[in-house]
Amino acid sequence: MTAAPKNETTGESEKPTALPTDLPKDASRRLKELEDGLFTSDLSVNEFLLVKEVGFHPLGFVMGSSIYHTGLQVRKFTKSEELTKLTEAMYNARELAMTRMEEEADELGADGVVGVRLDVNYYEWGNDAAEFIAMGTAVKAENGQSYRNKAGKPFTSDLSGQDFWTIMQTGHVPQGLVMGTCVYHIAHRGLGQAISSMGQNVELPNFTQALYEARELAMTRMQDEANELGASGIVGVRLEEKSHQWGSHTIEFLSLGTAVTKTSAEVTLPRPTTIISLDN
Amino acid sequence: MSSVPSDIPAESEGRLSAPSFSSGLTVPDFAACLQMGLEPVGLVQGYCVMKWSFYGAGSPYMRGMGAYQYNTQQGAYSESYQCPHGYVGGEHISWGQNFEQTMVEAAWTQGFTSAYSRLLEEATEAGGHGVIGLIDTVRSLTDQAVVEFHLLGTAVVVSDAPGPPDGRPWTTYLAGQRLAKLVEAGFMPVSIAASMASVQVWPYCMTEYYLRGQGGTYRWSPQYATSEIEQLSRAQMAVCRLAREHVRAQLGTDTLYGATFAASDYESSGGPVLEATLRGNRVRRFKAFDRLDPPRPTVRLT
Repeated sequence: MTAAPKNETTGESEKPTALPTDLPKDASRRLKELEDGLFTSDLSVNEFLLVKEVGFHPLGFVMGSSIYHTGLQVRKFTKSEELTKLTEAMYNARELAMTRMEEEADELGADGVVGVRLDVNYYEWGNDAAEFIAMGTAVKAENGQSYRNKAGKPFTSDLSGQDFWTIMQTGHVPQGLVMGTCVYHIAHRGLGQAISSMGQNVELPNFTQALYEARELAMTRMQDEANELGASGIVGVRLEEKSHQWGSHTIEFLSLGTAVTKTSAEVTLPRPTTIISLDN
Repeated sequence: MSSVPSDIPAESEGRLSAPSFSSGLTVPDFAACLQMGLEPVGLVQGYCVMKWSFYGAGSPYMRGMGAYQYNTQQGAYSESYQCPHGYVGGEHISWGQNFEQTMVEAAWTQGFTSAYSRLLEEATEAGGHGVIGLIDTVRSLTDQAVVEFHLLGTAVVVSDAPGPPDGRPWTTYLAGQRLAKLVEAGFMPVSIAASMASVQVWPYCMTEYYLRGQGGTYRWSPQYATSEIEQLSRAQMAVCRLAREHVRAQLGTDTLYGATFAASDYESSGGPVLEATLRGNRVRRFKAFDRLDPPRPTVRLT
């Protein structure tokens, strides 16, 4: 974990002051109001209380967006392969959205962003164009300690307020929302293959291998991101599969999770109390 | 660390041998896991894509002059139904049959077992003692005749404990507090257990009448009153019983815990097909039951 630069007089972490160049002008006024003490947040009341309980204060609702044109890539009918241009497009678009959200959080002097959601929207007016949006609530530690990650940026995490409180009790600190993606074309079965397996229950090794490889690539890339952050692990990994607008044989495999670093071997989570509800 | 088993892709080698772990556990399950002394070592998975064959026995064209005997000879479930009306006409369905589709069950078992063994290979490769929080999905891929089996779980090591004696990681669908409660109750997970049963129904005239509401030569039947469709009821009971028997055969002297049962049906060209899957956790007692703290009563004020 890299500490934020400190003011030599006060000893407090300095807030970055310059507005990043690729943020809209309207964002500047909104972020300025947030710097003045008003905060916005999409946390529920319970999440807000738990984030406060663990020693963090919400600074503001932050977001990043990117409208990205995904190009075409020729697919071979009978060949299973990764469509690298589409993989790069899906990766870059999400990275742009995430980076802009991190810039907004950085602008607020945040230590991290919790409850990050990554969405993809398609609009009728944009053929092959999709909007990638990242949004979450920027938070800052109340004790002045920096929780920024190894890259000196605010950590990002898709953990809810409840999960954030829980993970902190286990001696782990979020480092970043890590992801890996792979757009893969699953080959169609040829006539010869179909005829040769007619009337039999058999494994289709080509399909098995293609799906296996695509998911492994996505998960490996996610783990590589976590290693770059110096994380000790990733929690809450989700594997999502979407065909977007490419047809059933072209699938994006997206692996997402929150990279965490172990800072203490002590688990301070209290033993759960068993309850019985008397409600109807 | 041994080399990657040949049955899993080479891409998994770097991921499974990386110093950091990945885990599909939710944060509460992750926290409970640490409290129990289980350290996650990696997200592990297994896949198998199977082609579902065309079943001649399910087709009306394969329906001969008499009941299908092959399954009965193999000891599988089969029941025949004889028309009570005598000779009525050429189109009259004078006999029917319920029979277990052993080929379908064998295909399902092969797909599930292949995916499961690949998951175990990954868990062994990652150095896991066990796999918790297993999620298994069976879904149609691209079309109805191609089915994907996918198992996903988090490999864990038990802190300060040796690995399993036979080197084969234990597995369970449970994670978090449900797993903690199981251990507190004195049981340890052994493996998951899962089975599928499939019964094809070839309706005879009375079942066909009730299902289709057909008239014609059926109209003179005294069976106008509301009545149980015996052939379908017995097929449904049979498919449930078969799923239970298949799982029971995997248990040995152990117990099944946290079972989920799902029944489904679809219409084949030969008639209805009833299917059932049963999944659960094979567990073994290792200590006496520790009484749990009495629960605290709560009332919501909203």
